[in-house]
Amino acid sequence: MEKIMSDATSAVNVGSESVKTQNQIAMSLKDVAVSFNGKVAVRDATFDVTKNKVTSLIGPSGSGKTTLLRGLNRLHDLTPGAKVTGQILLEGTDIYRGDITVTELRTRVGMVFQRPNPFPTMSIYDNVVSGLRFNGIKKKSILDEVAEKSLRDAALWESVESRLKVSAGNLSGGEQQRLCIARALALDPEVLLMDEPTSALDPIATLRIEELMVTLKERVTIIIVTHNMQQAARISDDCAFLLMGEDRAGELIEFDATEKIFNNPKDSRTLDYTLGRFG
Amino acid sequence: MPTSTSEIASQREELAEKSASSSRGWYQWLLIGVSVLFAVVSISFVGSIIIYSIPAWAHPGTLLTGKGWQSPTGPFGGFAMIIGTFETSLIALVVAGIVGLGTSLSIVFLVPGKFRNIIATLVELLAAIPSIVYGLWGFLVLAPWMLKTFDPFVNKFPFASTIFGSPGQQFGPSLMLASIVLSVMILPTFVAISREVISAVPSEIIEASYSLGATRWQVIKDVVLPTAKIGLFGATFLALARATGETVAVALVAGGVANAQFHLLYPGTSIAAWIATQFGEAQGTEVSALMALGVLLMLINFSLSLISRSLVNRQRKVLARV
Amino acid sequence: MTMIDELVPQPENASTRDAIRRTAHAHRARRVAISRVMMILCGIALVLTSIPLVLLLIQLIVRGSSQLNATFFTKLPQSPSLVDPNAIGGVLNSIIGTLALTIYASIMAIPVGVLTGVYLAESRSKLAATLRVIAQTMAGAPSILMGLFGFTLIVKYLQIGFTAIAGSFALAVLMLPVIAISTEISVRNVPDTLREAGLALGAKPHKVSLKVVIPSALSGIVTGCLLAVARAIGETAPVLLTIGGGYLNEWRPLNPVSALPLSIYMNAKSEWPSQRAQVWGIALVLVAFVFVLSLTARIWASRKQKRNS
Repeated sequence: MEKIMSDATSAVNVGSESVKTQNQIAMSLKDVAVSFNGKVAVRDATFDVTKNKVTSLIGPSGSGKTTLLRGLNRLHDLTPGAKVTGQILLEGTDIYRGDITVTELRTRVGMVFQRPNPFPTMSIYDNVVSGLRFNGIKKKSILDEVAEKSLRDAALWESVESRLKVSAGNLSGGEQQRLCIARALALDPEVLLMDEPTSALDPIATLRIEELMVTLKERVTIIIVTHNMQQAARISDDCAFLLMGEDRAGELIEFDATEKIFNNPKDSRTLDYTLGRFG
Repeated sequence: MPTSTSEIASQREELAEKSASSSRGWYQWLLIGVSVLFAVVSISFVGSIIIYSIPAWAHPGTLLTGKGWQSPTGPFGGFAMIIGTFETSLIALVVAGIVGLGTSLSIVFLVPGKFRNIIATLVELLAAIPSIVYGLWGFLVLAPWMLKTFDPFVNKFPFASTIFGSPGQQFGPSLMLASIVLSVMILPTFVAISREVISAVPSEIIEASYSLGATRWQVIKDVVLPTAKIGLFGATFLALARATGETVAVALVAGGVANAQFHLLYPGTSIAAWIATQFGEAQGTEVSALMALGVLLMLINFSLSLISRSLVNRQRKVLARV
Repeated sequence: MTMIDELVPQPENASTRDAIRRTAHAHRARRVAISRVMMILCGIALVLTSIPLVLLLIQLIVRGSSQLNATFFTKLPQSPSLVDPNAIGGVLNSIIGTLALTIYASIMAIPVGVLTGVYLAESRSKLAATLRVIAQTMAGAPSILMGLFGFTLIVKYLQIGFTAIAGSFALAVLMLPVIAISTEISVRNVPDTLREAGLALGAKPHKVSLKVVIPSALSGIVTGCLLAVARAIGETAPVLLTIGGGYLNEWRPLNPVSALPLSIYMNAKSEWPSQRAQVWGIALVLVAFVFVLSLTARIWASRKQKRNS
């Protein structure tokens, strides 16, 4: 047991805490690279995502943050010609080669997208429970219970309680995004991927989503892609900095506790970026 | 240089006013004149057919429900043609709708990206093939095959005589053949439109449903089809409009007999096909009777395209909300 | 609450989560299997669609190409007889007739259609709104009705008789709404900034329209016209009721002419096997015309799109 643990920690970069047991790691990436039709888009991603923390991926556009994130719930399976190499472990299971099916993986690793994308033909209630229904859960009591809990967790319950049957298209942008978060939470995932979740929202809605993320990490591990450095500094515990290499492929430059990345990075390029000298 | 949006807006208004004030120039008059000419042509299109059909409306009952067509004196009953039109188009629509929807779904969700555009282009080219070519194929290839293989085959089934007519009847050109040719003919049209409607469903909500653990079929059934539903109905009505108005293909393969019956392997005809086949020899009141059939066809077609257009517009609004 | 519960953060709905996970797991294999089956059915639909269409194309090419020779393109048709059942001649009259019909129809339809389309795009009047509905309805009208119109107006009312002009008028009525609609779309797609730039420079509105807007929309307009011609060239029903037909080498507007789709329709029902075989050649030539026109239109449109992006 001792040996396995040390293997798991020695092989990877060290995150917010210098010593971690495997139990505290939600996802572990090792030499992960994504390529499209042989052309590498991002590579060299090696880091551990700690449970119940917010890990942010930052870097200028073209550095492959979103591409990397979409590899974590196998969304690249939908793109012909896309290939993910390296190892991505979810609770110790390789998500590409382990005995985990892609539909199961996606119930355990949820995703929130850049633009709010509720299902336009469904009501608020149907949107929240859609993941459960996809997965064969039909019992009304469970659906009702989970719908309320997820909407509460997404801080949306008070404002929609009386209009659950209304079409989701009637909500404001910020409410729609919180609905999408509730929809992802309904399946009670272990990890929640968020791809620039506030980039399409106004500052007040953004603030509310950020507050939400801080409370949510009690319940779910969050990995967030953001181009907003203040946001990364405010809400994330660990931070991965990616940059586009000379061959126009993104690569991981540095992974560390957020505080270190912003105040005392190892790589000078990280400092330049966080100070706003480029990007 | 305008510096604020309000300045730009006011400048826009000025420019609009400017164009309005000089709208009485020769160019505007030319545009209006030509457009009015277009309106006159369209109105006389509808009007002339109606005017020439008036004598036949002396017996509206015969025209709509009469079962015989006695050239050249009358009575002229349109029941067989009306029934034939709906029989053939509806069968064609059901076949083409089901097969076509599956085809569009597999083009969007199964065919790899590289081939998708090639297939889409091919489908659109096939939709451009003149209908006479589909009719020709049905008449010279399918009809003999129906005579030799299909008819003896289906007549082995016990229920065959109710649907296909009594056994041993050797018919090639028939309502059945017309339905088959029509379905093959409207398939490319239906696939071209429905594929477009389906690929217009935003990829964001497709990815969202995959991210919730949905299988590919669940994504299609629970998200794509409900979102595209109205547009798909629009495509269906458009295909139906095309099938009901098809003339020469049906004239070649339906058999051209004015018999109102439901046995699909017997010859029949449709409104459009009957006009085309009878027009050459028609005289006097028979011409007006054929014109009256044309008015019927116009009513059917215009209402179908009205429905289809309003559905397509509603689909646009649904997608605009996403 | 025990001490351990407070120390180890545990979701309060752990039991619900377990129930969800268990149900989801129990259904997973079945869901995946259903999805497979349905996707296979969709694939079968694709094959079912392809079979008749591919068969049709192959038979058209194989049977059609064997008919194409010098006689086919350069001689007039003959009536076969028992003495010489293969004396069918060529289809020169139909080729010439189709070209003449198409040219006359284009001369009538393109100017009116394009200008109507420009008006629809640039005017916000009630007349324009009404015209748009009329154009959209006309664009889907069955072609046999255009034939009836050509017959009533030109053949009967104006007493001109079965002539090329009657047929091309019917085809022009068919092309008009198609051209008007596609022109309207292309003109609307011209960015407002371009229009405003012209007006801001002090140009008169009609100059802006003629020198800026229409030239930028030109390739879209041409594409629409080509597609309209491609549709008109293959229509049988309108010409069936209007052009009269015949075996003569005729193109003049006021005389009866023949056309490719008309001779397909007539000869397909011929009792002579030689004439029925020749029909495949005519159909191949007709489809070739249509494909060349549609492909040109498509390439034109995509090149324009590339240049814009």
